[in-house]
Amino acid sequence: MNKIEIKQVSFVYSKGTPFEKKALDGVDVAFEAGMITGLIGHTGSGKSTLVNLLNGLYKPTEGQVFLDGCDIWEHPKEIAKVRFRVGLVMQYPEYQLFDDTVRSDIGFAPRNLGLPKEEIDRRVAEAARFTGIDDELLDKSPFELSGGQKRRVAIAGVLAMDPEVLVLDEPAAGLDPRGRREILGGLSLYAREKGKTVILVSHSMEDMAFYCDRVVVMDHAHVFRCGTTEQIFSDPEALTDIGLDVPEVAAIATRLCKAGVPLQGPLYTVEQVYEALRRVKEGRV
Amino acid sequence: MISDITLGQFFPGFSTVHRLDPRTKILLATAFIVCVFLANNAVSFLLLTLFTLWLIPTAHISFSVIAKSIKPLIVILIFTSILNIFMTKGASDPLVSFWVLEIYTEGLVRALFMSVRVIILIIGTSLFLTYTTSPISLTDGLESLLHPLTYLHVPVHIFSMMMSIALRFIPTLVEETEKIMNAQKSRGADFSSGGLIRRAKALIPLIVPLFASAFKRAEELATAMECRCYRVDKKRTKLVKLTFHARDVLWMLLLVLLLGVVIALRILPNHVSSDALWYRILFYSI
Repeated sequence: MNKIEIKQVSFVYSKGTPFEKKALDGVDVAFEAGMITGLIGHTGSGKSTLVNLLNGLYKPTEGQVFLDGCDIWEHPKEIAKVRFRVGLVMQYPEYQLFDDTVRSDIGFAPRNLGLPKEEIDRRVAEAARFTGIDDELLDKSPFELSGGQKRRVAIAGVLAMDPEVLVLDEPAAGLDPRGRREILGGLSLYAREKGKTVILVSHSMEDMAFYCDRVVVMDHAHVFRCGTTEQIFSDPEALTDIGLDVPEVAAIATRLCKAGVPLQGPLYTVEQVYEALRRVKEGRV
Repeated sequence: MISDITLGQFFPGFSTVHRLDPRTKILLATAFIVCVFLANNAVSFLLLTLFTLWLIPTAHISFSVIAKSIKPLIVILIFTSILNIFMTKGASDPLVSFWVLEIYTEGLVRALFMSVRVIILIIGTSLFLTYTTSPISLTDGLESLLHPLTYLHVPVHIFSMMMSIALRFIPTLVEETEKIMNAQKSRGADFSSGGLIRRAKALIPLIVPLFASAFKRAEELATAMECRCYRVDKKRTKLVKLTFHARDVLWMLLLVLLLGVVIALRILPNHVSSDALWYRILFYSI
């Protein structure tokens, strides 16, 4: 079932001025409910624009965005409701922190929802748990925290809305490998546990291969490919042709296959390639 | 979107106006402003309007951009025009009169002149300065024009550095504001409804991060400048030296001519610039 569907959407920046720029051109794409879908593409391929269309921050120049089968712009005055249902974590979201304490900053969205105090506290605690924020941090000022901690607080601030769909624009950009694993791991745990639909924008093919069920590849304002992670990474040449990488281990596996090693099955994570190599070895011995 | 604001935006290009020396353009804009304020009769205004209309395509700026920059002024123009029309008392009989309101020819003319004055003032100065001159060369020009003041111990260089930094960061701050606004909207912030106090309160989540990042940016910039050994008290050389060309002289002559005509029309004997005569021609011809 499709949670979000985008039909023939085009988006033009600064329409009617000399700076006019078409960021999306007749894009058709669907995001399945309960799945983690990866969104990859070059800088300037239209990923971030697409992301901003999903929760109604931008209005499509042409075409429609459907959430559970309903056009989100059917009642433009109620677009704020869509924003509560589709939680968006922007790129480098730490600049959005503003409140006195981490606790009340995470509680900003639930307060805007008009929830009772107990429910706000419950949501703040839950969001802090999934993003790995310790209790003692909750009463500090968000401006005292380190970069990685700020990032977690900013993400928690969106999780606290308990959105049906979670859209993350490079949530792990600029973090060290450990912070990366913790944040992405926590988010995927959250999504699986609560059955959320997640759309994850990333430049890292390893993250895509590891966390995503499906992948959408963008190129020059169009959707280039979309399918399961296995389908997308089974054709590494197509990705390298448009200047993207494949997971390093997939590239190695491809070269092994070309060199005559009969590897079988999906080959885009370390475990899969390890298994395939083991089978080859056992078959020969 | 906020970034669609056109007033005070630079449109890169290679028109004659673009290639003028920034100092020339500052002088031209000043002369133009003087012309607009000295103009007090229909001929002068007609002349200045024609000049502005000719300037737009000469500077390779599209009319739609100009229209967009005038749009925010319309409310003010209508408001002041209405005031002018009803508040001006004329010498002759009123054209229309009902209840306590009376409309005189003088009021209509004054409203018209005022509107034309404001519109061509905005268009003309934008065409000479912001639309066709990059902020950097504008401050370079200003610094060079104000250079004589250094002999009076005015720190011209510091002012121009502050100004170029301020100008340089306007688009950055606008972009940043939009980004933060979108992030807070995504968390359900509502900037556009409620009463005055509610709206002011709603701005806190926008203003706090904006200030935080502006201070951080200022500190980083200061460090970066110091790393490159920037000192206010040392003389700096220029990468691009400003030079006057023949076209600069031609344009200055053109504006001097325009200024001369406007001044002449102002002081010429009544029968040429007689306002009453021109009002009549103007209104009967419409």
